[in-house]
Amino acid sequence: MISAFIHKFSSPKSFVQITKTLFPFFIFAGLFLLIIGWIWGLLYAPPDAVQGNSYRIIFLHVPAVIFAELIYFFMAICALMHIVWRVKLAAYLIKSAAPIGAMITFIGLFSGSVWGIPTWGTWWQWDARITSTLILFIMYLGILTLHGSFSNLEKSDRLMSILVVIGVVNIPIIKKSVDWWSTLHQPASISVSGGSAIDPSMMYPLLISVIGLGFTLISLGILTSRSYILTREKNKKWVSEYV
Amino acid sequence: MLRLIKIESAKLFYKLKSWLGPMLIMILVLTAFPLSIDISKFDLEKFYFSIIVVSLLMTSFLATEGMFEEDFEDGSLEQEFLVEQDFYKLVLSKIFVYVCFIGIPIAFIGAIFSFANGVEIKNFAKVFFLLSLSNLLLFNLFAFGNALSINKGAMLGVLTTLPLALPVIILLGTAIRSIQYGDGFLQIMFLMIGSGFLISAIMPIIISAALKTHID
Repeated sequence: MISAFIHKFSSPKSFVQITKTLFPFFIFAGLFLLIIGWIWGLLYAPPDAVQGNSYRIIFLHVPAVIFAELIYFFMAICALMHIVWRVKLAAYLIKSAAPIGAMITFIGLFSGSVWGIPTWGTWWQWDARITSTLILFIMYLGILTLHGSFSNLEKSDRLMSILVVIGVVNIPIIKKSVDWWSTLHQPASISVSGGSAIDPSMMYPLLISVIGLGFTLISLGILTSRSYILTREKNKKWVSEYV
Repeated sequence: MLRLIKIESAKLFYKLKSWLGPMLIMILVLTAFPLSIDISKFDLEKFYFSIIVVSLLMTSFLATEGMFEEDFEDGSLEQEFLVEQDFYKLVLSKIFVYVCFIGIPIAFIGAIFSFANGVEIKNFAKVFFLLSLSNLLLFNLFAFGNALSINKGAMLGVLTTLPLALPVIILLGTAIRSIQYGDGFLQIMFLMIGSGFLISAIMPIIISAALKTHID
């Protein structure tokens, strides 16, 4: 039953058609929420008692690192689908999501470095959280390089999926690094079970920024995946009819 | 299985560069490091282990380079697939032979050098066992890297999987600290033995899947 469901809704053709209608919603909602979240966070949220105004970079840094991990997790699910059910679309989505993941991980690392200068007095530290995030960035680049190395794209898809599934081991390490090791990086301020250590006046704009960036990244993902699908399936009849 | 182990042992034995090279590089790095910087004995004892860990990573990386490349080029992989319909046994025996021929001697060299650099003799067995286990884990990971990019010089896949070696390095670092401070060594060791068994059982399946993709 799962297999039948997946095959019905996972054809590249239906994906391209469905996402065409969804794209305007995600891009407008994403940008709207992101702008609201950033204006609220940067201009109206109160300064931090210890860090002053420098903490405001969290409105970019925190959403970026959240999605750096989430995108990889999404890719791992797609990779499993590709390996188990041989869903072509899943491989296309991995290939399209990897550059976005690399970009957002880089933004997370860069914004963290910028934040590190006023708060820690250094832009880089070989700390468990920062190093494991750097490794995630390298993994994204490795996945892209591996995929680009073969002329047989079906083979590339399969090898890439295997690598993505194995690489998912790094995600819990990044997540729990601040708990498992004594790190310079602070532990999580918001937890699902234990509430939040952030004042609501800062947390609401942060949550809006997270949702806004999420929607924006989804719309970016839709754009890149649609373009990739159309390129990969260019010899198919439905593409010539669609284009 | 025994047949495969015999074949792989014979193949590796005649490839002198593949097994002797990593050992010589391990010795070279461990010898050259204290000579290359002006350092007090106290400081050297404090972080010599870190050099052993990095050397171990580097030599495992070198030792596994081209693990499947020759078999792929000369058609042995294809032949094996026609006979067995799977690569599980081949991969398992290859890793076993590599660990025995290269991994364990490298671990022994690492343990000797740590002993010569201030580690107490009673800890020699611990260090040797620890380094052997780490090699088992690293060889599995790098074999996976080789299987991914088999006909692309193998280096690409190895570099791609290098970040996966991070958990092994973290575990090794924790175990080394536990030896230095004499606390919690057994827990870490059991964790490493468990991971070793798990990875040695699962990784050949994954490597086999990657090799099948190349044969398809």
